[in-house]
Amino acid sequence: MTEYRTHMKIIGDILYTTRDDLLDEEGVTVTYLIRKANISHSRISRILKTLVSQGLLEQVESDGTNKYKISNSGREFLQAYKTFSSFADNFGLTI
Amino acid sequence: MEFLLENILNLVGFLVGLAIGIMSLVGFRNTGSPTLFRLTIAFLSISIGFLVVWAGYMVEDFIVKSGSLERWIQTVGIVIQTVGYFFIAFSHSIKSFFPKSRYFRSIGIMPLFLVSSVQIEHIFRSVSFILLAYGAIETILSYFENKNKGAISVATGLSLLALGEFLGWYSFVFPESLLYPISMAVRIGGLIALFIPVSKVPLTRIKFDKDIE
Repeated sequence: MTEYRTHMKIIGDILYTTRDDLLDEEGVTVTYLIRKANISHSRISRILKTLVSQGLLEQVESDGTNKYKISNSGREFLQAYKTFSSFADNFGLTI
Repeated sequence: MEFLLENILNLVGFLVGLAIGIMSLVGFRNTGSPTLFRLTIAFLSISIGFLVVWAGYMVEDFIVKSGSLERWIQTVGIVIQTVGYFFIAFSHSIKSFFPKSRYFRSIGIMPLFLVSSVQIEHIFRSVSFILLAYGAIETILSYFENKNKGAISVATGLSLLALGEFLGWYSFVFPESLLYPISMAVRIGGLIALFIPVSKVPLTRIKFDKDIE
């Protein structure tokens, strides 16, 4: 059975990937994120645009390819996400 | 004895609800999570509900001095608490039914409109019981999925609150019995159990970020 993921959970997965799976100093590619986050290109493009505009991700252009890496704000967000995921877990809920 | 227990219950309920509500609000401000927003409304409602009943007792005891609390104040407090319990149960129904059925989400609010004005307090106590029992069952089911020990404490807390509501409602049938004081003691235990896992959440490194909305 496929587990339903909330929008927040998908954002968390993307940020964890950009923090933990840095392939090189410039960040990870969209293709890699699509594979790890398991969502469509159009949806991840919208989410990445939002995360970059909010300063949680940094977009770097390298060899004609867009790469993404987590910013300091993104790391702070992940810390809050982890803390409050555990808080919501106590109530049997997913943030 | 009953007056003392009532005051302890209402103050503990106010403080526990306020603490969990503020924690949920901090979480919502930091992450923008709708779940945390619903928990904020739920626990701030519960806190305000207890405060209203407590304030009613204080006004009666120090100003009006009529010897018994105005019934409508108790009813207003219980209705506000029921709204809080509804939002806890509502969060679970969204998790359980999402994204399949909008129908279940829409009928979830119906019990609030099916009440008459007669004995409204007792009707709301029974609605609270159902909502709390539902929340407790869903929370314990989530424990079997995630094995998060905090969920056991929250489920115990919600179960004790449900039992307390049931006993409080049943004391209407036996007004002079010990049922009402017991129901208050059980509810105080429930609130403490609810707060135990939440008190362990580390908030020291969390700060508000204006860029995150």
